[in-house]
Amino acid sequence: MKNRRLIIVFVTFALLLTLGVVQAQDATVVQIFFPIAVDSPVTEILNGYAEAYEAEHSGVDIQWSFEGGYADVKNRLLTVKEGGGDLPALAIMLATDIYDLVNAEAVQSWDAFASDEYLADFTPTWLSNSYYDYDGDGTGELYGLPFQRSTVLLYYNADLLDEAGLSVPANWDELASAAQALTTDAREGILIPNSWPYWVFQPFAAGAGQNIVSESDVDVFFDNEGVISALQYWVDLYQVYGATPDGVQDNWGDAPGLFADGAAAMIVHSSGSLRSILSNADFTVGVSGVPGKDGGSYTVTGGGNLYLVAGIDDATAQAAWDFVQWLTEPAQTVDWSIQTGYYNTRDSGFELDAWKEYAEANPQVDESRAMLDSAVREFSVQSLGDVRNVLHTQILAVLNGETDPAAAMAAAQEGADAILAIFK
Amino acid sequence: MAAHPWTPRWRGKRVSPLPYLLILPTLAFVVLFTIYPTFQVIRSSQVYYHPNRPDRTRESDLNLPGVAVESRSIRGPHDVGLAYFRAMFDPTTEEGTIFFRVLGNTLVYAAVTVSASMALAFLFAMLVNRAAKWIGLARIALFYPTMLPMVSAATIWLFFFTPDYGLFNSALQVFGYTGPQNWVINKDLALGSLMIVAIWKDAGYLMIFYLAGMQNLPSEIYEAADLDGASWWVKTIRITLPLLRRTTLFVSVVAIISAFQNIDHALVLTYQLVSGEADLLLYEIYKQRFVLQNYGFANALTVVMILLLLVFTLSNFFLSERSTEARA
Amino acid sequence: MSTASMSIRPAKPRSYSKWFVNALTIVLCILWAIPILWAIVVSLRPRSDALGRGDIWFGQYLTTESYQIVNELAPFFPRIEDGRLTGSYYQNTLQYVLTTLGVQLITIPLAAFAFVHFEFPGKKILFYLILSQMMIPTASLLVPNFVTIREMGLYDTTLAIAIPYFGSAFGTFLMRQAFLEVPRELVEAGQIDGCRWYHLLWHVYLPPSRPTLIAFGLVSVSFHWNSLLWPLVVTSDNARPLTMGLLRFTQLTDIGAQWSLIMAATLIIVAPLLLIFLVFQRQFIQSFMHSGIK
Repeated sequence: MKNRRLIIVFVTFALLLTLGVVQAQDATVVQIFFPIAVDSPVTEILNGYAEAYEAEHSGVDIQWSFEGGYADVKNRLLTVKEGGGDLPALAIMLATDIYDLVNAEAVQSWDAFASDEYLADFTPTWLSNSYYDYDGDGTGELYGLPFQRSTVLLYYNADLLDEAGLSVPANWDELASAAQALTTDAREGILIPNSWPYWVFQPFAAGAGQNIVSESDVDVFFDNEGVISALQYWVDLYQVYGATPDGVQDNWGDAPGLFADGAAAMIVHSSGSLRSILSNADFTVGVSGVPGKDGGSYTVTGGGNLYLVAGIDDATAQAAWDFVQWLTEPAQTVDWSIQTGYYNTRDSGFELDAWKEYAEANPQVDESRAMLDSAVREFSVQSLGDVRNVLHTQILAVLNGETDPAAAMAAAQEGADAILAIFK
Repeated sequence: MAAHPWTPRWRGKRVSPLPYLLILPTLAFVVLFTIYPTFQVIRSSQVYYHPNRPDRTRESDLNLPGVAVESRSIRGPHDVGLAYFRAMFDPTTEEGTIFFRVLGNTLVYAAVTVSASMALAFLFAMLVNRAAKWIGLARIALFYPTMLPMVSAATIWLFFFTPDYGLFNSALQVFGYTGPQNWVINKDLALGSLMIVAIWKDAGYLMIFYLAGMQNLPSEIYEAADLDGASWWVKTIRITLPLLRRTTLFVSVVAIISAFQNIDHALVLTYQLVSGEADLLLYEIYKQRFVLQNYGFANALTVVMILLLLVFTLSNFFLSERSTEARA
Repeated sequence: MSTASMSIRPAKPRSYSKWFVNALTIVLCILWAIPILWAIVVSLRPRSDALGRGDIWFGQYLTTESYQIVNELAPFFPRIEDGRLTGSYYQNTLQYVLTTLGVQLITIPLAAFAFVHFEFPGKKILFYLILSQMMIPTASLLVPNFVTIREMGLYDTTLAIAIPYFGSAFGTFLMRQAFLEVPRELVEAGQIDGCRWYHLLWHVYLPPSRPTLIAFGLVSVSFHWNSLLWPLVVTSDNARPLTMGLLRFTQLTDIGAQWSLIMAATLIIVAPLLLIFLVFQRQFIQSFMHSGIK
């Protein structure tokens, strides 16, 4: 009796499983691994693009495959490659993972497809982590095409600044005193989520005269005087000015909400939060780059690029390229930017009516665009995971009061050089 | 041992294939998905392989003890024999530093979570092993964390650990706590935050086994103890605990395995603690394998972890089997 | 045999300390329940209402918008498209959880029966070989097992998630313990009546061990329902389970934590398990109590 029921259950599910097997398709399939990093209905938007594209181009089947985060996409691609599984044609992965991905031969160059003319329309700063001279012929090959890109912004509560009679901070001193002036019992002057610090740190380092990386894949600049002074400035913000929480701030996730709620007068955060902040804040939201030590405005690039997966057949690669070309047309990049809050990566897109209307309604997006000229290259070198650990460990040691900035950055430099030595 | 009439005899006598056939389905899947890949891991632990490095040839000793300087690719793969194991047990190497740190963390973590969640499980079982109208609700309240995905549980706790206004810190402040608040990124507290979540999640699960064990306790002993005027405390220590010795052994096996194997909460809570002070063994394996792409080291760590678990659990099983035989 | 009622056999507290025991129970239960209560409250909070100092429970009003958004962003439930039901996370999870359980309910009693009922060469070694599954962390075997799944042609099917667990060391161990409790006289009586081995298993060993099987079944369902790393590796789009849906919301890295979305997703995932437990709590705990685990 029970036995029979058990068998019925089992057989039923065995049947369900067989029915679940997918039918083969004739069209060229372009599968794309995509991380979900915003709460806008990205899946809907992207499926819309796929449908629009398929309607214009017969014989192609665009399949988005949505993953958790960037790390999941990368791990999944590497696992599938290692296990000899069905490779996707494209994947959106971090621009900074270029060396790991190319070295693992998980991705291939776009050089056979992308013309100089096509590339010229991309805002140049987005290509700063796209080239790598893997074959050692002296010129870098192109691996990453900009798509889901962001920068670090300083968000400020313009109403509060006005009330206090303060202008938008233009240098470190002004930033610190403004933050100090706006600090109350119920409000932080400024929040800098720095528990995973390198990204938000880079604009400060650049603002003191030295980015922590150059164009090279084997050099870092940690023990530079400017970099050390940037770290000292972080410490001063709470030790001297009392304008930000002490030590390490583990509030990346909460900072945009706190800012929109009025619990923080300023925050340093991703441009990706702009949309949610604008929709939640009931005050005038100002955005700018991070002010430099003696003036100027600095930011750093971030986000993901489109990578062409290695080991796929030529027809699939061609179909993938055709789709990518369409996807990075200004009409699409502008639509993507408006719908998600990521940057429009094509210069000519800013001339489109859709963009002009959007920018008129949201003046902040033009300000964030204006900073792109001063955006520095995001931290990326060989063995990025190891080198980044060395830097993070030392920055956090300083924030925890265990060492001073000069000693920490000297140690970080030494550690990084040791790791990078074998690549030189 | 008395020969049962239905027992097929062996040692020179006929052996029936039947028991082997009955075991075969289970064994086949275990061999295919556990034993066979384990041998692959053992093999790979002797291979240097960094797929995230370019395939460039350098004069290099690969920074591993006992591996000669030679001109070869910095990516690999190269056969390096037991070099990773030599490096792990040599605290002067990078691998050794990492190994001893994660080993220490794991042992502390396992010791604290296993003993605390077992003690709580026993306490919970004592408290809810009675008949009252609301006791069902109490059991649910204590047991439900078991049914939450570890990722959800850890995410909820991530909020509780939020500095300043997170529930956990607010509660501590009520009791006069003034120490650091960034639990998940403070290198002294991060391990503690992992332990708190694990204990909260596991105690209810282990409680179930104690409840089961208590159900089978002979009531005569308690009645006799009551006649002697023994206190609740004395009965618990002198009667209940000793009688539940086998339960405790079994529960400890389950708890130790869970302590070593569950790292989903570390992926949510302490992955930001970049300096690695709170890394557990399995988390380090995940990190070396998937983040830093140091395949050989990750596999060597896996081998050591398997050996550790084998020692812990097998010794426990032997103890529990012996007590069974002693009773029989 | 054990009785069906919950008795107060061990360590009955004296009346003067009864209030203390009750108070302690209630305090601990409240402490343990706070996380889920908070999750429920926050999942009903308006999304625009950020959590902040002194404001971490109820928002300005209650709303189910987070549940709607979560279901729009991830296919937790099937939808009707072109007159057919679309695939959904719930369907996938149910498929692999029940497949796993269905097979385990066959393999486990057979193996446990062999280990209890027969003497044969290599019995101990085989038993420990199977137990090794409990000790070796599946997380460290992800890559070789992925290759096996590929070679079997099962990638991105719910069967791929289920198949490594078709043999269960934990289940075999529990079942063996339960079978060991079966009185010898019953077995001998059956033997004298001329029962074949499957009669013995079905009519003698299984009936008193049913609670163990149920208890194991519930543990198995709740374990597989929540598994994360393995499905992440072996599924692509067709076979993604519920926990993958959760992953989408815990990693909204660019815009910060969306607590109400994460909690809504969590509750969507665990609701069936919690409801089942709520309804069958008594039977479930009694299964465990009478399961012979001790």
